[in-house]
Amino acid sequence: MDKRGKQNVLKRILAIRGMGQVITVTIGFIILCIVFGLVNPIFFSGKNVANLLRQIAPILIIGIGQSYVLITGNIDLSIGSVVGMSCMISATLMTKGVNPLIAILITICCCLAVGVLNGELVSKCKLPPFIATLGTMTIARGIAQIVNNNYNTGSIGEGAKGFRNFFYYGKTAGLYNAIWITLAMWIVFNFILSKTRSGRHIYAIGSNIDAARLSGVNVHSTTIKAYLVSAICACTVGLMTCATTGMGTMDAGNSYEMYAVAASVIGGVSTLGGQGILLGTVIGASIWGVLQNGLQFAGAPVAIRNITIGIIVVVSVLLDVIVRTGKPRKKKMNPVT
Amino acid sequence: MDEYIVEIEHVSKSFPGVLALNNVSFNLRSGEVLALLGENGAGKSTLMKILSGVYTKDSGTIRVFGQIIEDLNTKKAQELGIAIIHQELNMCAHLTVAQNIFLGQEITEYGMISDRKMNAEAKKILSSLNIDIDPEMVVGDLAVSKQQMVEIAKALSTNAKVLIMDEPTSALTSKEIEDLFIIINKLKQEGCGIVYISHRLEELENIVDRVTILRDGEFIKSMSFHETSLGEIISCMVGRDIKEKFPRVTCTRGERILEVKQLNAGRMVRNINFELFAGEIVGIAGLMGAGRTEMTRAIFGVDSKDSGEIILDGKVVRIEKPMDAIKCGIVLVPEDRKKDGLCTKLSIRDNIALPNLDILCNKVGIVSNKKEKTMTEKAVIDLKIKLPNIEVNAGSLSGGNQQKVVVGKWLRRKSRVVIFDEPTRGIDVAAKVEIYNLMNELKKQGIGVLFVSSEMPEVMGISDRIIVMCDGKITGELNTDEATQDMILQYATSFDKKSADLMSS
Repeated sequence: MDKRGKQNVLKRILAIRGMGQVITVTIGFIILCIVFGLVNPIFFSGKNVANLLRQIAPILIIGIGQSYVLITGNIDLSIGSVVGMSCMISATLMTKGVNPLIAILITICCCLAVGVLNGELVSKCKLPPFIATLGTMTIARGIAQIVNNNYNTGSIGEGAKGFRNFFYYGKTAGLYNAIWITLAMWIVFNFILSKTRSGRHIYAIGSNIDAARLSGVNVHSTTIKAYLVSAICACTVGLMTCATTGMGTMDAGNSYEMYAVAASVIGGVSTLGGQGILLGTVIGASIWGVLQNGLQFAGAPVAIRNITIGIIVVVSVLLDVIVRTGKPRKKKMNPVT
Repeated sequence: MDEYIVEIEHVSKSFPGVLALNNVSFNLRSGEVLALLGENGAGKSTLMKILSGVYTKDSGTIRVFGQIIEDLNTKKAQELGIAIIHQELNMCAHLTVAQNIFLGQEITEYGMISDRKMNAEAKKILSSLNIDIDPEMVVGDLAVSKQQMVEIAKALSTNAKVLIMDEPTSALTSKEIEDLFIIINKLKQEGCGIVYISHRLEELENIVDRVTILRDGEFIKSMSFHETSLGEIISCMVGRDIKEKFPRVTCTRGERILEVKQLNAGRMVRNINFELFAGEIVGIAGLMGAGRTEMTRAIFGVDSKDSGEIILDGKVVRIEKPMDAIKCGIVLVPEDRKKDGLCTKLSIRDNIALPNLDILCNKVGIVSNKKEKTMTEKAVIDLKIKLPNIEVNAGSLSGGNQQKVVVGKWLRRKSRVVIFDEPTRGIDVAAKVEIYNLMNELKKQGIGVLFVSSEMPEVMGISDRIIVMCDGKITGELNTDEATQDMILQYATSFDKKSADLMSS
């Protein structure tokens, strides 16, 4: 490639919307990695990197789901509970001897039902998304508890070995399957969001729901689609959790909804809707994972890890605002309508 | 009278990428009304925002009452007696009129907020302005024009000596505009200096003493209004002569495209019947709140219809949501561009592509980058939209260019009927003419054009036929050659006896 060609490529990458913030966050991410590497050289060892990737995988997947919903201008608080529900339903079925494939299908259906319910409550019944998904969050957690009579399940057994390998332990081309699954999901959902009509509609309703409706966008089905993506992502993470531990745990996915918001927001997805790209969510989830992992290596207790991550969430958003406007954001005043 | 209360000298202001104001000077005497004129993006609003402390200047001096003011901020501006009424209403919809008027300067009694005192005080202010609004009403329940009046009352409650009005009449009816002018003249006699920004040049002569013209961020001229012709003012604003304010093309009337029969939708759309032929522009005139917007929304399927038929090219079409209307070839350029027209956080390219994704996508729904780019670029060229590139946020454009994007996104597909709802509100003369030309172009192509507008000269200048609405009904239909403003106004105010009684009681 000649020099001009290269410049064009660079120009085109920079022209992608939302790229600016992704680059800022990426620089932060690299600095973070270097610091942890200097503190403890083991951080960069092959084994730890593989470990790290597996830690990032579930956060990234739910981050993708949450990003979809955030871009439509809504929020999905039920993600964490759906993870738990997925984990418990699949594990319970498999301990009862159901074929893993059928167990997976049933689990997916249950999770999608929550997604549809979320979408209907928000779009048809016009409930504020925070309240609607707060409700489904509690319901889904309740279902997770009730499927095995308020107990975690026992081991999902030998029959589910293939299941465990597929979702977590197995390796393909030298990488854990969990990572491949994450990669595949990211590619598919990134493509849908950036290249298809449905993707455009998702941005449009997040940016201006009235203008989108008047432009012929079906707001109702688009909202449901976003919540379905979120549900399918949570479902996958639930199955992964089940494969990892080899059993169903009722509090699987606890507070994942907030991790998902954090990954999205660090990566530049706006909670006000209409803005953000999934590449940002990758970096957001990575920063999350590296902090967890790196601080653990540096010997920091859990409490310190939580405090640090909380600070990072706030600072990364603040930084973005300052970079973009030169000063902290004033809340935009809306005219009376 | 001759003493300047505001003197701005050599002020410059730049935003990332644009020089919004370049070495601008401006002054204002007490007891005068000064019209600040210029095209969209000329820097009027920026200059006024600097004067009211919303923005800080990069360089230059500001003198208020002879005193050099350095770090001017909104609070300081208020203390100095500078009040601004913004183009967009800034009010808390859930609070009452009195609470809004005294927002930030609440009246207290024994350390507690006293609604009683505020209501009494607000009543005093409102009645001194001849505004008939109950101070205890919730602002969100008032009509937009009434809200505007409250905004003015709010500005005056601070004893303003310098009052800036940015397009105060864009949402008012002619009666309300008259009331506003009475208020303005009263304030003028009391020694207020008033800066008046408006695109409606016709209304200036009732109030304005002097005009100051800006163009592309630069000071052009300041002159006495009564010694200057409108033509001269316009050519100063646009920097060239505009040949025709209302360009007109004649076409032969073709076949019938659209027929609306017995359309009913709520209280504001009652028993609507009309026809639209190829090669004509039909203007829909009427007062604010006559139901024109509601009618277009019902036709386009935004609001649901109670009954009635829409016949397109001889066939009855079912339109239940905007998508249905778009599919059969009826499109609507909505009235409120910020609310209904644009996704301000998305790029121009996304905005123009949004209603046309069916054309831009292949069978599985993947958007073609190339087609999208070509479409956007064509729209930008056709409409002469001024922009850095097609990837910038639509919200970053000036008002006129935003409006062009809204219009542009609807003209990239083959339509049978295009409905324009107030397409020229708040945009400058040159951009208005471009939009008229565009409507004429559609007319030539045999597309039916419905044109809703509150500006009488515009309706009469552009349409071939005028339908007048009042109180949700069609009260008259005129050919443009025989129409006069008086006739239109008469139809526009012919309320039913019953509703007229209701209104007067």
